[in-house]
Amino acid sequence: MPDVLIADDSEFMRNLLREILEEDHNIVGEVENGVEAVEVYKEQHPDLVMMDIVMPIRDGIDATDEIKSSNPDANVIMCTSVGQEEKMKEAVRAGADGYITKPFQKPSVMEAIKDVVPS
Amino acid sequence: MKVDIESLGTFNKLAHEGAEAATASLTQMTGIDATVDVTKITLVNREEVGEELEGRNFAGVQFGFAGALEGETVLLFDAESVGTITDALMPGMDESMAESGVKEIGNIMMSGFIDGWADYLEATIDHSPPAYIEGAGSSVIPEPPTDAEYDQAFVFKSEIEWVGESVNFYIYMLPEYDPLAGLMADHAANQDDAIPIDKLGVFNQMTTQGTEKAADNVEMMTGIPTESEVSRISFAPIEDVPKQIGDDTYVGTVVEFTGVPSGFLMVLFDEQSAVNVAEALMPTESPGEGLTDQHKSAIEELGNIMTSGFVDGWANVLQTSVEHTPPKLVHDMGRSIMDPLAAQVGQHQEHAFIIDSEMKTDEIDFRSEIHALPNEQELRQALEDLRVDRADETDADVEKIFEQ
Repeated sequence: MPDVLIADDSEFMRNLLREILEEDHNIVGEVENGVEAVEVYKEQHPDLVMMDIVMPIRDGIDATDEIKSSNPDANVIMCTSVGQEEKMKEAVRAGADGYITKPFQKPSVMEAIKDVVPS
Repeated sequence: MKVDIESLGTFNKLAHEGAEAATASLTQMTGIDATVDVTKITLVNREEVGEELEGRNFAGVQFGFAGALEGETVLLFDAESVGTITDALMPGMDESMAESGVKEIGNIMMSGFIDGWADYLEATIDHSPPAYIEGAGSSVIPEPPTDAEYDQAFVFKSEIEWVGESVNFYIYMLPEYDPLAGLMADHAANQDDAIPIDKLGVFNQMTTQGTEKAADNVEMMTGIPTESEVSRISFAPIEDVPKQIGDDTYVGTVVEFTGVPSGFLMVLFDEQSAVNVAEALMPTESPGEGLTDQHKSAIEELGNIMTSGFVDGWANVLQTSVEHTPPKLVHDMGRSIMDPLAAQVGQHQEHAFIIDSEMKTDEIDFRSEIHALPNEQELRQALEDLRVDRADETDADVEKIFEQ
């Protein structure tokens, strides 16, 4: 099963993502901000990071930028409520591989993951 | 056509002073001690005028006015307070005399309301004889003046509080759009801070779309059909802003947004709605009574998603980005939530545009309000930059962006 790191400041959303993913994925960590996301990524090297954008301390685009700089093969899906075109372009520039807007349902999450991490 | 902030402020002050003159007449006639709580100018979709009155019965007077300003105006009393008012005027009135009494009180009050406008405009404003009206909710509000070009209407609304009693009176003035916009443009003192009034209407439509998106998000997360109900943009003195939310207790989120415009955005639920919607969000029932930590976490995330639904459309149409802080959970009286935010915005401006939206569902007891308090100067800049031909482009195409 692919290893997944979940980065979201909302406990509610982390729980929801865990419930969607845990059947087919190995959740290696759940973190609340971009700083922790980078730290855990560098320790665990998961196959996929589900990354929120608006988080305290360090946002998800910044964290994605550092993760992709350290490992261009890292897989990062932005998983966010932000549906702004300019923000999506920033995410692309930071190296994001996919983008899911909240609220989402399981099929859209699974489809986005399939596009980024083919089984 | 452009209006400047100063003339909007002057027109708001005229309406406020008119309401104070009307209230002074009421006090003089009845001995009832009342004060004007809030006066604001609102730009609202025609069919939504008076939505906030739903669920209550009113009596009052209506008349038309013509001259320097044209339109309709109405003075409304809560139906249950009519007896108290007419008793104060003349104890023991029968029903027909009471109706006549209300008409006369209304006539005198509304003359006071209109006269200040005529004096300021150095012109005459005539009004028709008063007509007694009674009814439920927004049905007591006259149809806003029709104008083929605009779906929206300017409404001047004053709330008058009966001191020591939980009774409010309302004055609504619905002027015709073009003459009013023309008057405001003519009285613009300073073109440097002028607002393109037509774009304000377009921005209001974008806000309606933002509310619909936020309602869709609630529906998708909870499975409960949710409708966007009202969306409007108002203009009021900054010190009056907190009064508009009132003293009810709310649970919700506050975010600060930056970009053009910057400001604050609140997503608020009454306590019962907060519990109900949080329960609908959670896979299992939350242990514990009332609002639990799990409920609060769910509300925090819902507020976050609703905020994005609301502001993303602005960013996409304006081809910019609007950043916002993570949501901060609030649980307090509405006025207490708004006070510090208005104080912060008030460091740079005397008046504020307030964007208000409401949504509801019929399936469970659920209502939610969104209030945005943008920086006035930056909103003006955003309106200048707004390309009307992009007004429908509120949604971004994620697939297209990632394919490029």
